[in-house]
Amino acid sequence: MQTKGAIALITGGARGLGQAISCHLQNCGATVIVWDRDAEALRQIPTTMDGLQVDVTHPLEVKAALSTVLEKHGRIDILVNNAGLIYSEPLFNLMNPESPIHDYTRFRNTLTANLDSVFIVTSAIVEQMIQRRTRGVVVNISSISAQGNEGQTAYSAAKAGVNAMTVTWAKELGRWGIRSNAVAPGFIDTESTRSALTESSLKHITSNTPLRRLGMATEVAQAVTTLIENDFINGAVLNVNGGLTI
Amino acid sequence: MDKRLSEILAAIFRLREDEIKPDLKKADVGRWDSLTQMDLVVSLEKEYSIVLGIGDIVGMVSVAHIVDALKKNGVQLAN
Repeated sequence: MQTKGAIALITGGARGLGQAISCHLQNCGATVIVWDRDAEALRQIPTTMDGLQVDVTHPLEVKAALSTVLEKHGRIDILVNNAGLIYSEPLFNLMNPESPIHDYTRFRNTLTANLDSVFIVTSAIVEQMIQRRTRGVVVNISSISAQGNEGQTAYSAAKAGVNAMTVTWAKELGRWGIRSNAVAPGFIDTESTRSALTESSLKHITSNTPLRRLGMATEVAQAVTTLIENDFINGAVLNVNGGLTI
Repeated sequence: MDKRLSEILAAIFRLREDEIKPDLKKADVGRWDSLTQMDLVVSLEKEYSIVLGIGDIVGMVSVAHIVDALKKNGVQLAN
Protein backbone atom coordinates (compact mmCIF):
# COMPACT_ATOMS: atom_id res chain seq x y z
CA MET A 1 0.00 0.00 0.00
CA GLN A 2 1.23 3.44 -0.83
CA THR A 3 1.28 5.68 2.24
CA LYS A 4 0.84 8.65 -0.07
CA GLY A 5 -2.86 9.30 -0.48
CA ALA A 6 -3.90 6.82 2.21
CA ILE A 7 -6.08 7.71 5.19
CA ALA A 8 -4.31 6.78 8.41
CA LEU A 9 -5.60 6.67 11.96
CA ILE A 10 -3.08 6.70 14.79
CA THR A 11 -4.28 6.09 18.34
CA GLY A 12 -2.31 7.86 21.04
CA GLY A 13 -0.87 9.86 18.18
CA ALA A 14 -0.53 13.26 19.78
CA ARG A 15 2.53 12.64 21.97
CA GLY A 16 5.82 10.75 22.09
CA LEU A 17 6.19 7.79 19.77
CA GLY A 18 2.67 8.24 18.44
CA GLN A 19 3.40 11.82 17.49
CA ALA A 20 6.53 10.73 15.61
CA ILE A 21 4.47 8.14 13.72
CA SER A 22 1.73 10.66 12.92
CA CYS A 23 4.24 13.20 11.61
CA HIS A 24 6.14 10.60 9.57
CA LEU A 25 2.96 9.29 7.94
CA GLN A 26 1.91 12.82 7.10
CA ASN A 27 5.35 13.56 5.65
CA CYS A 28 4.92 10.44 3.51
CA GLY A 29 1.70 11.87 2.10
CA ALA A 30 -1.02 10.26 4.21
CA THR A 31 -4.08 12.05 5.54
CA VAL A 32 -3.57 11.69 9.27
CA ILE A 33 -6.26 11.30 11.90
CA VAL A 34 -5.08 11.35 15.50
CA TRP A 35 -7.05 9.89 18.37
CA ASP A 36 -5.76 10.73 21.81
CA ARG A 37 -7.34 11.17 25.21
CA ASP A 38 -5.01 14.05 26.05
CA ALA A 39 -6.90 17.19 25.01
CA GLU A 40 -3.92 19.47 25.62
CA ALA A 41 -1.63 17.35 23.43
CA LEU A 42 -4.29 17.27 20.72
CA ARG A 43 -4.39 21.06 20.68
CA GLN A 44 -0.70 21.02 19.76
CA ILE A 45 -0.81 18.69 16.77
CA PRO A 46 -0.38 20.33 13.36
CA THR A 47 -3.60 21.83 12.00
CA THR A 48 -3.16 19.65 8.92
CA MET A 49 -3.96 16.62 11.08
CA ASP A 50 -7.45 15.74 12.18
CA GLY A 51 -7.45 15.34 15.98
CA LEU A 52 -10.18 13.80 18.06
CA GLN A 53 -10.30 13.23 21.81
CA VAL A 54 -11.09 9.55 22.31
CA ASP A 55 -10.61 7.07 25.13
CA VAL A 56 -9.88 3.91 23.18
CA THR A 57 -10.78 1.67 26.12
CA HIS A 58 -14.45 2.61 25.72
CA PRO A 59 -16.17 0.76 22.84
CA LEU A 60 -19.05 3.23 22.54
CA GLU A 61 -16.70 6.20 22.45
CA VAL A 62 -14.66 4.49 19.74
CA LYS A 63 -17.78 3.73 17.73
CA ALA A 64 -18.92 7.35 17.89
CA ALA A 65 -15.49 8.67 16.94
CA LEU A 66 -15.31 6.24 14.04
CA SER A 67 -18.65 7.50 12.72
CA THR A 68 -17.28 11.04 12.80
CA VAL A 69 -14.15 10.00 10.91
CA LEU A 70 -16.07 8.04 8.27
CA GLU A 71 -18.46 10.91 7.74
CA LYS A 72 -15.55 13.18 6.94
CA HIS A 73 -13.04 10.87 5.25
CA GLY A 74 -15.19 8.00 3.98
CA ARG A 75 -12.78 5.21 4.89
CA ILE A 76 -9.68 4.26 6.85
CA ASP A 77 -6.81 2.54 5.03
CA ILE A 78 -4.23 2.38 7.80
CA LEU A 79 -4.72 1.82 11.51
CA VAL A 80 -1.78 2.26 13.87
CA ASN A 81 -2.63 1.03 17.36
CA ASN A 82 -0.17 3.01 19.42
CA ALA A 83 -2.20 4.11 22.46
CA GLY A 84 -1.20 2.54 25.74
CA LEU A 85 0.66 3.10 28.94
CA ILE A 86 3.78 1.69 30.53
CA TYR A 87 3.33 0.23 33.98
CA SER A 88 6.08 -1.45 35.95
CA GLU A 89 5.56 -3.65 39.00
CA PRO A 90 6.95 -7.10 39.77
CA LEU A 91 4.66 -10.00 40.65
CA PHE A 92 6.11 -10.14 44.17
CA ASN A 93 6.41 -6.54 45.18
CA LEU A 94 8.23 -5.93 48.44
CA MET A 95 7.84 -2.18 47.98
CA ASN A 96 4.07 -2.34 48.35
CA PRO A 97 3.29 -1.62 52.01
CA GLU A 98 -0.24 -3.07 51.85
CA SER A 99 0.53 -6.41 50.22
CA PRO A 100 3.63 -7.88 48.59
CA ILE A 101 1.60 -9.08 45.61
CA HIS A 102 1.23 -7.15 42.32
CA ASP A 103 -1.82 -4.93 42.60
CA TYR A 104 -4.62 -6.65 40.69
CA THR A 105 -6.49 -3.48 39.78
CA ARG A 106 -3.34 -2.07 38.22
CA PHE A 107 -2.79 -5.36 36.39
CA ARG A 108 -6.29 -5.13 34.90
CA ASN A 109 -5.90 -1.44 34.06
CA THR A 110 -2.64 -2.10 32.25
CA LEU A 111 -4.24 -4.85 30.18
CA THR A 112 -7.24 -2.67 29.43
CA ALA A 113 -5.05 0.21 28.24
CA ASN A 114 -2.61 -1.86 26.18
CA LEU A 115 -4.54 -4.94 25.05
CA ASP A 116 -8.30 -4.34 25.26
CA SER A 117 -7.89 -1.01 23.48
CA VAL A 118 -6.22 -2.69 20.50
CA PHE A 119 -9.06 -5.19 20.29
CA ILE A 120 -11.75 -2.51 20.65
CA VAL A 121 -10.36 -0.17 17.99
CA THR A 122 -9.29 -2.84 15.51
CA SER A 123 -12.58 -4.73 15.62
CA ALA A 124 -14.52 -1.53 14.94
CA ILE A 125 -12.27 -0.45 12.09
CA VAL A 126 -11.87 -3.85 10.47
CA GLU A 127 -15.66 -4.12 10.32
CA GLN A 128 -15.67 -0.91 8.31
CA MET A 129 -12.75 -2.06 6.13
CA ILE A 130 -14.59 -5.28 5.27
CA GLN A 131 -17.89 -3.54 4.63
CA ARG A 132 -16.15 -1.15 2.24
CA ARG A 133 -13.80 -3.87 0.93
CA THR A 134 -10.85 -1.68 1.86
CA ARG A 135 -7.62 -3.62 1.50
CA GLY A 136 -6.22 -1.97 4.59
CA VAL A 137 -3.38 -2.54 6.99
CA VAL A 138 -3.22 -2.68 10.78
CA VAL A 139 0.06 -1.93 12.53
CA ASN A 140 0.17 -2.60 16.25
CA ILE A 141 2.83 -1.02 18.41
CA SER A 142 4.11 -3.83 20.57
CA SER A 143 7.24 -3.78 22.73
CA ILE A 144 10.44 -5.62 23.49
CA SER A 145 8.68 -6.43 26.78
CA ALA A 146 6.41 -8.88 24.95
CA GLN A 147 9.25 -11.36 25.29
CA GLY A 148 9.01 -11.07 29.07
CA ASN A 149 10.62 -8.29 31.05
CA GLU A 150 11.28 -8.50 34.74
CA GLY A 151 9.34 -5.91 36.69
CA GLN A 152 6.63 -5.65 34.03
CA THR A 153 4.22 -8.55 34.51
CA ALA A 154 1.15 -6.71 33.27
CA TYR A 155 2.79 -4.71 30.48
CA SER A 156 4.66 -7.75 29.16
CA ALA A 157 1.48 -9.84 29.20
CA ALA A 158 -0.44 -7.12 27.36
CA LYS A 159 2.19 -6.72 24.66
CA ALA A 160 2.54 -10.49 24.23
CA GLY A 161 -1.23 -10.49 23.73
CA VAL A 162 -0.87 -7.77 21.12
CA ASN A 163 1.66 -9.91 19.25
CA ALA A 164 -0.69 -12.89 19.37
CA MET A 165 -3.60 -10.84 18.06
CA THR A 166 -1.37 -9.45 15.30
CA VAL A 167 -0.59 -12.93 14.01
CA THR A 168 -4.15 -14.19 14.46
CA TRP A 169 -5.57 -11.25 12.51
CA ALA A 170 -2.97 -11.72 9.78
CA LYS A 171 -4.30 -15.25 9.32
CA GLU A 172 -7.97 -14.33 9.59
CA LEU A 173 -8.05 -11.11 7.60
CA GLY A 174 -5.59 -11.94 4.83
CA ARG A 175 -8.42 -13.39 2.74
CA TRP A 176 -10.00 -9.92 2.72
CA GLY A 177 -6.73 -8.33 1.64
CA ILE A 178 -6.25 -6.79 5.07
CA ARG A 179 -2.77 -7.16 6.55
CA SER A 180 -1.81 -7.11 10.21
CA ASN A 181 1.70 -6.45 11.49
CA ALA A 182 3.42 -5.13 14.59
CA VAL A 183 6.47 -3.10 15.45
CA ALA A 184 8.19 -4.04 18.71
CA PRO A 185 10.37 -1.14 19.78
CA GLY A 186 13.19 -1.63 22.23
CA PHE A 187 14.32 1.29 24.31
CA ILE A 188 13.56 4.47 22.43
CA ASP A 189 14.73 7.90 23.48
CA THR A 190 11.38 9.41 24.45
CA GLU A 191 10.12 11.35 27.41
CA SER A 192 8.26 8.28 28.74
CA THR A 193 11.39 6.10 28.57
CA ARG A 194 13.45 8.70 30.40
CA SER A 195 10.80 9.16 33.07
CA ALA A 196 10.32 5.40 33.53
CA LEU A 197 14.01 4.48 33.82
CA THR A 198 16.87 5.73 35.95
CA GLU A 199 20.01 7.11 34.36
CA SER A 200 21.95 4.01 35.46
CA SER A 201 19.32 1.72 33.90
CA LEU A 202 19.59 3.63 30.65
CA LYS A 203 23.38 3.30 30.71
CA HIS A 204 23.07 -0.45 31.36
CA ILE A 205 20.61 -0.85 28.47
CA THR A 206 22.77 1.17 26.13
CA SER A 207 25.88 -0.83 26.92
CA ASN A 208 24.00 -4.10 26.30
CA THR A 209 22.63 -2.95 22.97
CA PRO A 210 24.93 -3.94 20.07
CA LEU A 211 24.44 -0.50 18.50
CA ARG A 212 25.33 1.12 21.90
CA ARG A 213 22.53 3.68 21.85
CA LEU A 214 18.81 4.16 22.38
CA GLY A 215 16.56 4.15 19.35
CA MET A 216 14.96 7.23 17.88
CA ALA A 217 11.23 7.69 17.55
CA THR A 218 11.66 8.37 13.83
CA GLU A 219 13.25 4.94 13.44
CA VAL A 220 10.13 3.31 14.85
CA ALA A 221 8.01 5.44 12.52
CA GLN A 222 10.10 4.29 9.55
CA ALA A 223 9.47 0.67 10.57
CA VAL A 224 5.73 1.41 10.58
CA THR A 225 5.83 2.70 7.00
CA THR A 226 7.86 -0.31 5.90
CA LEU A 227 5.12 -2.61 7.21
CA ILE A 228 2.48 -0.46 5.54
CA GLU A 229 4.14 -0.26 2.14
CA ASN A 230 5.37 -3.81 1.62
CA ASP A 231 2.22 -5.65 0.53
CA PHE A 232 3.63 -9.12 1.21
CA ILE A 233 4.54 -8.58 4.85
CA ASN A 234 1.73 -10.01 6.94
CA GLY A 235 1.79 -11.31 10.51
CA ALA A 236 5.24 -9.91 11.18
CA VAL A 237 6.44 -8.53 14.48
CA LEU A 238 9.34 -6.31 13.51
CA ASN A 239 11.87 -5.73 16.28
CA VAL A 240 13.32 -2.22 16.34
CA ASN A 241 15.73 -2.50 19.23
CA GLY A 242 19.27 -2.05 18.00
CA GLY A 243 19.86 -5.79 18.34
CA LEU A 244 19.23 -5.88 22.09
CA THR A 245 17.40 -9.23 21.89
CA ILE A 246 19.82 -11.08 19.61
CA MET B 1 -27.60 -26.64 -9.68
CA ASP B 2 -25.37 -24.24 -11.56
CA LYS B 3 -22.21 -26.11 -12.53
CA ARG B 4 -19.72 -23.35 -11.71
CA LEU B 5 -21.36 -22.57 -8.37
CA SER B 6 -21.30 -26.28 -7.47
CA GLU B 7 -17.59 -26.38 -8.25
CA ILE B 8 -16.91 -23.38 -6.02
CA LEU B 9 -18.96 -24.68 -3.11
CA ALA B 10 -17.52 -28.18 -3.41
CA ALA B 11 -14.00 -26.77 -3.27
CA ILE B 12 -14.73 -24.56 -0.27
CA PHE B 13 -16.65 -27.15 1.73
CA ARG B 14 -14.44 -30.01 0.52
CA LEU B 15 -17.38 -32.01 -0.73
CA ARG B 16 -18.09 -33.77 -4.00
CA GLU B 17 -19.99 -31.69 -6.55
CA ASP B 18 -22.91 -34.12 -6.44
CA GLU B 19 -23.26 -33.39 -2.72
CA ILE B 20 -23.98 -29.71 -3.40
CA LYS B 21 -27.76 -29.43 -3.34
CA PRO B 22 -30.06 -26.50 -2.53
CA ASP B 23 -31.19 -28.04 0.74
CA LEU B 24 -27.63 -28.49 2.00
CA LYS B 25 -27.39 -26.47 5.21
CA LYS B 26 -24.55 -25.04 7.25
CA ALA B 27 -25.34 -27.51 10.04
CA ASP B 28 -24.84 -30.40 7.61
CA VAL B 29 -21.30 -29.41 6.66
CA GLY B 30 -18.69 -29.87 9.34
CA ARG B 31 -16.25 -27.51 7.69
CA TRP B 32 -18.75 -24.66 7.25
CA ASP B 33 -17.69 -22.39 10.08
CA SER B 34 -17.23 -18.62 10.31
CA LEU B 35 -13.79 -18.71 8.69
CA THR B 36 -15.08 -20.84 5.80
CA GLN B 37 -17.92 -18.34 5.46
CA MET B 38 -15.31 -15.64 4.85
CA ASP B 39 -13.60 -17.79 2.20
CA LEU B 40 -17.01 -18.40 0.65
CA VAL B 41 -17.80 -14.69 0.43
CA VAL B 42 -14.40 -13.78 -1.00
CA SER B 43 -14.62 -16.59 -3.61
CA LEU B 44 -18.15 -15.67 -4.70
CA GLU B 45 -17.33 -11.98 -4.94
CA LYS B 46 -14.25 -12.70 -7.03
CA GLU B 47 -16.01 -15.18 -9.32
CA TYR B 48 -19.08 -13.07 -9.98
CA SER B 49 -17.57 -9.58 -9.59
CA ILE B 50 -20.09 -8.57 -6.94
CA VAL B 51 -19.97 -7.14 -3.43
CA LEU B 52 -22.22 -8.91 -0.95
CA GLY B 53 -23.80 -6.93 1.85
CA ILE B 54 -23.40 -7.92 5.48
CA GLY B 55 -27.08 -9.00 5.56
CA ASP B 56 -26.52 -11.35 2.63
CA ILE B 57 -23.32 -12.72 4.15
CA VAL B 58 -24.93 -13.46 7.51
CA GLY B 59 -28.00 -14.94 5.81
CA MET B 60 -26.09 -17.47 3.73
CA VAL B 61 -26.72 -20.52 5.90
CA SER B 62 -27.69 -22.99 3.16
CA VAL B 63 -26.96 -23.49 -0.51
CA ALA B 64 -30.47 -22.21 -1.28
CA HIS B 65 -29.69 -19.02 0.63
CA ILE B 66 -26.42 -18.64 -1.28
CA VAL B 67 -28.29 -18.97 -4.57
CA ASP B 68 -30.84 -16.39 -3.40
CA ALA B 69 -28.12 -13.95 -2.36
CA LEU B 70 -26.34 -14.29 -5.69
CA LYS B 71 -29.54 -13.80 -7.68
CA LYS B 72 -30.40 -10.78 -5.55
CA ASN B 73 -27.06 -9.32 -6.57
CA GLY B 74 -27.73 -9.83 -10.26
CA VAL B 75 -25.91 -13.12 -10.82
CA GLN B 76 -27.56 -15.35 -13.40
CA LEU B 77 -27.36 -19.01 -12.48
CA ALA B 78 -28.42 -22.11 -14.38
CA ASN B 79 -31.00 -24.29 -12.64
